[in-house]
Amino acid sequence: MRAFLAIIRKELLEFLRSYGLFIVVLYSFTLDVYIAGNGINLDARNVSVGVVDYSPGFISNKILSDLHYPQFQEPVFFASQEKLNLAIRNKEIMVGIVFESDFGKRYHTGNNPVLNLLLDSTASAQSYLALNYIQHILMRFQDTLSFAPIEIQIHKLFNPNTSYSHFMALAELLSIITILAVILTAAVFVKEKENGTWDIMLLMPTDAKAVILAKSLSQVIIVMIGTTICVGTVLFGIFDLPINGSLAAFMLLTFFYAFTSAGIGLFIASVARNIMQVAQFSVLIMMPLLFLSGAWTPVYAMHPILECLSIISPLRYYIQGSESVFFRGTALIDLREYFAGVIVLGGVLFWYGFRKIGKLF
Amino acid sequence: MNRLQVREVSVSYRKKTGLKPVSLEATGGEIIGLIGADGAGKSSLMHAIAGIKSFDGEIEFDNHIYRSPKEAEKVKGSIGFMPQGLGLILYEQLGVNEHLDFFADIRGIKQDSAFRVYRERLLHMAGLSDFTERQAGKLSGGMMQKLALICTLLHRPKLLLLDEPTTGVDPLSRMELWDILNDIIAKEKTLCIVSTAYMAEATQMYRVLLFEDGEIIDKGKAGELIEKVRPFSYEAAPEPFENSITIHGYTYSLKPLELKPKEPTLNAVFFINFLKKYGPIPEISIVHKDRDEDVPATIMEAKGLTKRFREFVANDHIDMELNRGEILGLLGANGAGKTTFIKMLLGLLPIDEGELFLLGKRIKSANDRQMLKAKIGYVSQHFALYKGMSVRENLRYFANMHRIEPERTSVLIKEYADTLGFYSYLDALPTDLPMGINQRFSVAAAIMHEPVVLFLDEPTSGVDVVARATFWEMLQKLKEEWNIAILITTHYMGEAEFCDRVVLLRDGKKIADDTVKNLYQIHPDAHNFEDIFLDYYNLN
Amino acid sequence: MRIGVIKAYFKKELLDIYRSKLILMVYIMPSMLLILFGYGIKTEVTHTRTLIIDNDQSKASYDLVSTFEHSKYFNSETKNLSENRALNLIKQDKKDLIIIIPEAFEKHLLKGLKTSVGVYIDGSFPSRAKTIENYVNGVIYDAIMKRSGTEVDRALITINARNLFNQSLRDEDMIVPGVIGLVLLIAPAILSALLIVKEKENGTIFNFYSSPVKKSEFLAAKLLSVLLLHGINIFILFLWAIYLFELPFRGSFLLYIFSSFIYIIISLSVGLLVSIITSSQIVAYVLTLIITIIPGFLYSGMLMPISSMEGESVIEAHIYPVMYYTHILYDVFLVGDGLSASKNLLYLFILMGYAIILLTIGSLLLKKRIV
Repeated sequence: MRAFLAIIRKELLEFLRSYGLFIVVLYSFTLDVYIAGNGINLDARNVSVGVVDYSPGFISNKILSDLHYPQFQEPVFFASQEKLNLAIRNKEIMVGIVFESDFGKRYHTGNNPVLNLLLDSTASAQSYLALNYIQHILMRFQDTLSFAPIEIQIHKLFNPNTSYSHFMALAELLSIITILAVILTAAVFVKEKENGTWDIMLLMPTDAKAVILAKSLSQVIIVMIGTTICVGTVLFGIFDLPINGSLAAFMLLTFFYAFTSAGIGLFIASVARNIMQVAQFSVLIMMPLLFLSGAWTPVYAMHPILECLSIISPLRYYIQGSESVFFRGTALIDLREYFAGVIVLGGVLFWYGFRKIGKLF
Repeated sequence: MNRLQVREVSVSYRKKTGLKPVSLEATGGEIIGLIGADGAGKSSLMHAIAGIKSFDGEIEFDNHIYRSPKEAEKVKGSIGFMPQGLGLILYEQLGVNEHLDFFADIRGIKQDSAFRVYRERLLHMAGLSDFTERQAGKLSGGMMQKLALICTLLHRPKLLLLDEPTTGVDPLSRMELWDILNDIIAKEKTLCIVSTAYMAEATQMYRVLLFEDGEIIDKGKAGELIEKVRPFSYEAAPEPFENSITIHGYTYSLKPLELKPKEPTLNAVFFINFLKKYGPIPEISIVHKDRDEDVPATIMEAKGLTKRFREFVANDHIDMELNRGEILGLLGANGAGKTTFIKMLLGLLPIDEGELFLLGKRIKSANDRQMLKAKIGYVSQHFALYKGMSVRENLRYFANMHRIEPERTSVLIKEYADTLGFYSYLDALPTDLPMGINQRFSVAAAIMHEPVVLFLDEPTSGVDVVARATFWEMLQKLKEEWNIAILITTHYMGEAEFCDRVVLLRDGKKIADDTVKNLYQIHPDAHNFEDIFLDYYNLN
Repeated sequence: MRIGVIKAYFKKELLDIYRSKLILMVYIMPSMLLILFGYGIKTEVTHTRTLIIDNDQSKASYDLVSTFEHSKYFNSETKNLSENRALNLIKQDKKDLIIIIPEAFEKHLLKGLKTSVGVYIDGSFPSRAKTIENYVNGVIYDAIMKRSGTEVDRALITINARNLFNQSLRDEDMIVPGVIGLVLLIAPAILSALLIVKEKENGTIFNFYSSPVKKSEFLAAKLLSVLLLHGINIFILFLWAIYLFELPFRGSFLLYIFSSFIYIIISLSVGLLVSIITSSQIVAYVLTLIITIIPGFLYSGMLMPISSMEGESVIEAHIYPVMYYTHILYDVFLVGDGLSASKNLLYLFILMGYAIILLTIGSLLLKKRIV
């Protein structure tokens, strides 16, 4: 047991003293999560609008006055449709609106008024959303709702203001946990190979199993501390992320999951000869796993084959589980599926990595 | 004429001075040797002359004057530089021929018939003619160094700068390296500047510069340098005198002593300088330990140990015995199988064939190996210790791994630090330590758990003369006090003489196993142990 | 510059990359990233797991339910559950959307009285929630319009929307050019940083320091290796885009090739700058990743159109070269104006300017001596 603790102590000390690594890890858990939460926004905001108005302008101006911040920028007027077209092609304008000369007349006479919209769909998500906004605005403008007898009461649960920063920051943290747990664990073994201390390590009278376990645990501890710092400062501190479920459940899930990743790290350590290879293998192995996790596309919307494959990605359970804890506030009992997924897959992966690296001892 | 003039050249690094202003003059055909401890300024001077480091002062070669690396560009075509480190300039993935092509191309050499003849000659001299397709990463250390040298010679440089080309190289390869060099220098009238840790090599050189703390403190022919210290060298005194150093059969003292004078070697220069600067070497002693008399006389016995890597037989049925209270030197060329053998003894490599006994017990299962680990100490090449932890933390870690009680650990650390003389470095990181201190502290880490046998793999490579001598003092004391068995590998044949018994390996086979005294009797013509070694290697 | 020297270095570099298996990294990573992102990022939402609680069980409500059932966007299920238990299903991540049709839905409609439909959306994945909201609105309003359109006394404004460049709003069309821009920024930068730092770390850099090889020759050899190796990726990525992701290619192939090569020069210059300040491969690798991935994502226009940016991010987007290249990429794949559009021409010149400036800074800072 003393040897076990001594190894953990040594690995933590070495981590703290390797300033480069320390800074990269700290950066990942703080600034990187902050940038992701702050910078990535898939909503259609501040959309640039260009207008060509051939009509006398009364109605058109009234409609345009409804296009405003935060969804839209102040409309820019163009003299001709050609000029508007050019601006769209140059990506200065995303949404072009053209009012024909008889627009006002047709509107008043009810003679099928048409609003021409030109959308730059190279950013298809935003242009689709922009189209929806404009539809909405037109409906409100025409008071459609007053004679339509149905009212749609939309409740967006868990995130009523559709904040992207909450989601992106959490998603980034989960990716960081995954990648760092893998890389740190692999590195802690491969560093010994590189520095020539590998033989010394093997010669210690301590049981190989204890050495592997202690080394893995030390890196899991680092990841857990990093996670705590990130949740405390960035998620709660800066982004004011509400947590609807139990923080303890998240930490526990993370703990099991970190061991799962560590298992992959052990496997990488058994085949990599130097840190460079660790970095390369990690990217090659982790990218597809991240893809299969449903972090970007929900699992049920994937191709059926991929959907089957994703069952074996521990990330799937971890990411869904964590999101459930933070956003959905899922009760502990309903998290059992995620815990089971992470623990079972993690057990298998860790056991496999453990055996692979154990052969080198 | 290839005339080199170095005028008041100094080199400084971000934090410290590498070289204080030095001047030097030399002409083609000369071999100038640079000697001195680590970090004494040898490499700095070479880097400045090679034009790869900024410097103050002025260098003139071949009628070109340069004051900066930029101005040195015009002479780089006629300079050949080989930096310190085994095969440092080689590309692991490239074959021997591919290296020669590459170096010929970047030097812009016309590949005419004259060049091809020259190239074949170099390959032949280096003994690489049969290995032209082998990748550098798969060559032995000696071969790598020879390949690096012929790559450096390919463009027939007029000025050759070699930074410790022979460190870590076995005597045979070392001799071959010098054969190539002497041959080329004689034919091409090359000016050659070589730094070396082997005093025997330095003695052969035209002129020697002695470096210390960034200064040249003495220069001249080796004989002249030795002459200066002759008055201070005596036969070893039975009892230590005040302000003197007694080591390896010599006593050095600045004050006249009532002792018989003894013919000094170049090593004496280092001790005398040390004496002048720091006084006598602080006494090293060993932490007391009760001698385990119940340990059997034969500590380790190997019978027909064999290791194969696919087709290649690295160790071919080697028998060896290691006895209590004995220092056994394991010698052999690079790639002869020394490290493989030690790794089998340590249990780091599985044994393919043969039997291994430790303390009379056959080592077979993993459980036996576990027992073995508690009984042995191991110091690897380059003293691999954890760089992120201080000396104290490292020692504490090793003590914990060996389940030594914490209270006892604190006592032990203090005792070892006191007796081995690294007390003031206890809280420093290993990377900040002088090589000699690192070496002693590595040994402390390896013997804290009081093993019955200690393995040392090239512990003295790259360490200066004084530190090497004190290191051997320590080993001798360790042997005497603890009655421990020590197995050591080294490329310094001079050190073989400090061993009780020597085993020689060649191509994975044991070719000699005898006491040093007996070996001298078998080889009456040998002047030193290097001759004996070469005798064995040249006998087919 | 001596061709012989460059050739020698070049040959050595290729052998080394091939034998050290770095070649796998060079050709697997870019394609892998493109394929993963191309398939992985979907802004279109399909198969929304929908639960409809029909408390009315009338013809009108059946009509509404069947509209949902026939949409590819929804996988709907009709069940009678209490509101609370239904909400719990969202909590358990079993459903994404719950629609509650009230009692007397049809009666109210016929009488022209107000009735309200309750919609609950799982908001944890915000962009999906937003899209689902729009779909639901669309479906329900459509249904209303169909029922009530004839009764309205005046015609409503119809929207005649034209989705330029990407008529069917395919995600692939939007993502793939952006990812090409990202990949060609990261991969060549990493390779060029590694090729130089590797020599520093191993000590073979001394061959350059101590020989008469000129800085320009050394750089030309190193950078040409990267340029040619990753030059092939320009074609590989193109083939994936066209044949796997079935993107249209409306612009000039020459412009694509030319601007991509310029862009690779920028990217490898970034790697060169990294290699100057680092001396170990792993540090160079991580540093390159950090300084390329985030701006590569943020300023490619893939996640957010540059025209929608505000404040300092507009300035930052203009400082990083990513935006100029992706603009040209979107043009050659989707728009097809080519150099007839002055903006493309301008951006191409800006890219060339970047290439020249970064390469010049890099080669000035590279020292042929121990620092």
